Amino acid sequence: MNAMLNSRRTLLLVLMVVVMVGGQWAVPGFTNADQLANQLKIATFLGLFGISQTLVMIAGGQGLDLSVGAAATLGGIVGAAVIGAGSAGLPLALVAAALCGAVVGVINGCGITVFRVPPLVMTLAMASLVDGGLIVWSSLLHVNTAASATLVALAGRSVAGVPTVAVLWLVAGTLVWWFLDRSAWGRRLMATGANPTAALLTGARVRVVRIAAYTASAVIAALTGVLLVGYVGQAFLGLGSGYVLTSVVVAVIGGVSLGGGRGDYVAVAIAAVFITVLTSLLTALQIGEAGRQCIFGATLLVFLAVNGWSMGRRAVAA
Amino acid sequence: MKAGLTERLHAPHEQRSRRVRQGINAIASRNASALPGLVMLLIVVSCNAFLQPDFFSADSLSSNLQNAAPVILVCMAQAVIVLLGELDLSVGAGISLVNCVLAAVPSLTGWGTAATCVAALAVALAAGVCNGVLVGYFRQSALIATFATGAIWFGGALLLMPQPGGAVPEVLGEWFAMRVGVLPLAAVPVIAAWALWAVLQRHRFGRRLIATGSSADAVFKSGVDTRVVKLLGYVLAWLFVFGAALCISAQTSSGDARLGLPYTLNSVAAVVIGGVSLAGGRGSMIGAICGALVLVLIGNVVYFAGIPSNYQEVFKGAVILLALGCTFISARKPV
Repeated sequence: MNAMLNSRRTLLLVLMVVVMVGGQWAVPGFTNADQLANQLKIATFLGLFGISQTLVMIAGGQGLDLSVGAAATLGGIVGAAVIGAGSAGLPLALVAAALCGAVVGVINGCGITVFRVPPLVMTLAMASLVDGGLIVWSSLLHVNTAASATLVALAGRSVAGVPTVAVLWLVAGTLVWWFLDRSAWGRRLMATGANPTAALLTGARVRVVRIAAYTASAVIAALTGVLLVGYVGQAFLGLGSGYVLTSVVVAVIGGVSLGGGRGDYVAVAIAAVFITVLTSLLTALQIGEAGRQCIFGATLLVFLAVNGWSMGRRAVAA
Repeated sequence: MKAGLTERLHAPHEQRSRRVRQGINAIASRNASALPGLVMLLIVVSCNAFLQPDFFSADSLSSNLQNAAPVILVCMAQAVIVLLGELDLSVGAGISLVNCVLAAVPSLTGWGTAATCVAALAVALAAGVCNGVLVGYFRQSALIATFATGAIWFGGALLLMPQPGGAVPEVLGEWFAMRVGVLPLAAVPVIAAWALWAVLQRHRFGRRLIATGSSADAVFKSGVDTRVVKLLGYVLAWLFVFGAALCISAQTSSGDARLGLPYTLNSVAAVVIGGVSLAGGRGSMIGAICGALVLVLIGNVVYFAGIPSNYQEVFKGAVILLALGCTFISARKPV
C-alpha cells in the first residue's frame, strides 16, 4: 500500500521534473524564479480545489463534487460584498463565505445520502441553482466586487519570492494529509468509502461522514473562492467554473480512486503542480487550445491506465 | 409448471387473456419509472399551452419539434448508455466534432453532401467504438474515461474549426426546414431512432443491453460477452449522437466547436428526470424522451411567462432540482 502511494508520488514528481527540464530546454527562462513563483500560485488554487475533490471521492459512493466552481463563485461574491459592506474586513468575509459554502455542502450531502441522488447529478443541479441565484443576485444588488488591499496582499503578493497563498496551501495541505493519514476521522472517512456496510457495522455513522465530506468540500471551495478574488482582483460570475473539471482531473491523476476509500493528498498536490506546469509549457510552446485539449485528454487516459494497472497489481499481491 | 400446462390445455381463452394482462402489466411496470417525467411533461405542456395560446398550431408544434429533435436524440443516446449501466460525458464534444466535420470537410476536400455525411457518420461511430472499447474492454470508469475522450473530441473539433464558421451543406438545412403536411422532416431522425430502439429492445441485443446494465456479472456468467454488449451499446448511442449533430448542424448551418458542449450535462439531467436509473438497467426510453421534452419546453415556458432573463437560469435550476426530488422520492418506495 505504502509502496504504491510512494510510487505514485515519485512518478508524478519525475514527470513534473521532466516537463520542467523539457520546458527550460525548449523555452529558455521557463524555470526562472519569477516564473516558478507564478506557477506555484496557479497550482495553489488547483490544489485547494483538489482538496475538495479528494475528500468527496474518498467518501465513496461514486463521490464527486461538480459544485465546487459554483461554491467558489458564491464564496467570492459574498466575501467581496462583505468586505465592501463594513470595516470588519477579511475575517468576517471568510466566515460569511464559509457559511455560504456550508449551506451548499449540507444540501449536497443530504440530497446524496438521504434522497440517494447520484452525486454527479446532485452537485450538478446544485451548481446550476447556485449559479442561477448568483445571476439574480448580481442583477438586483449592486455591491462591492473588488478585492480589498489585504486580500490582494494575501493572495497576490510574494514574501521573499514565495507566494503567500502557497504558504497557505502548504499549511492546508499538511492539515489534510494529517487528517487523512493520521486522525481517527480520516480513518472513518476512508473506511466509509472503502466499504460502507463494514464501516457502519464498526460504528462509523456513514451518512454523517458523507455529509461532512460534502460540507467540507463546499466550505473549502468557498474559502478558495475568496482567495481567488484576491488573486484576480475582482469577484465575477463564473469565477470558479474553470476549476470544476480540472479539480477532478487532478484528483484522478493523483491516484484517488473513484470507487472511494483510497487517496493520498500529497500525490494530488504534486499532480496539481504537474498539470499547471504542463499547461503553461503547452501555452509557452504556443500550442493552440486544440492541441492542449488533446494532450490533456490523452494524459488523463494514460493515468487511468496506470491506475487500473496498479489496482490490478495490488489485487495480485493481495 | 404442471398447473400451467393443464390450464393451457383446458382453458386456452382464459390463458390468452391472462397473457394479455401480464403483457400489459409488464409494459406498465417497465414504464412506471417514466411516470414522474410524464407528469412533469404534462405540467410543462399545460403551462406552455396556457402561456402561448397557439401552442398546438401546426407552426408552433413543428418549430418546437425542430428545436427538440437534437435534444431528444442526445438524450436517447445518453439513455442507451445509462441503461447499459455506464455514462458518457463526451456526447456534447462529440456533437461539436461531427458538426465541425460537416462544416469543414466540404471546403477542405471538396466532397459532396453524401460523402461528407458518410465521413461524419464514420467519425461518430469511431468515437463510439473508442469509448466502448475503453469502457467495455479496458474496464475504465466511464465517468473519467469519457471525460478524457471528450477533451480529445473537443480538441479535434477545435483543430478543424478554430473559429466558428464554415458552411454545412445547404441541402441539410433545406431538408430540415421542410414539412410534409403537419409533420416536419426534422421529426424523421427522431422517429427513425425510436423505431430502431423499439425493434432492438424486443430482440436479443436490447434485452442483453438492459440486462448488462442491471447486473453485468450475472449476464457474463450466463455466457454472454458483456464487453461486446457494452461496445455495441456505445456504437448505437453514437449513431443517435450523429443524428443529433446532423439536426443541429442543419439548424445552424455552420460549424462551432463549442456548440455541443452544453448538451452533455443536459442529456444526463433529462435522463434522470425521465426516471432512468443511473445505476443502470432500469428505466425506459419514453421516460428519457419526456425528460428531453421537459428541458426544451421549460425554456419556452420561461420565455413566454416573461420571466426576466436573469431569473431564467435559477428558475431552470430549481425546476430540475424539483424534478430530481420527485423522481428520487417516488423511486425510493418500490425498490
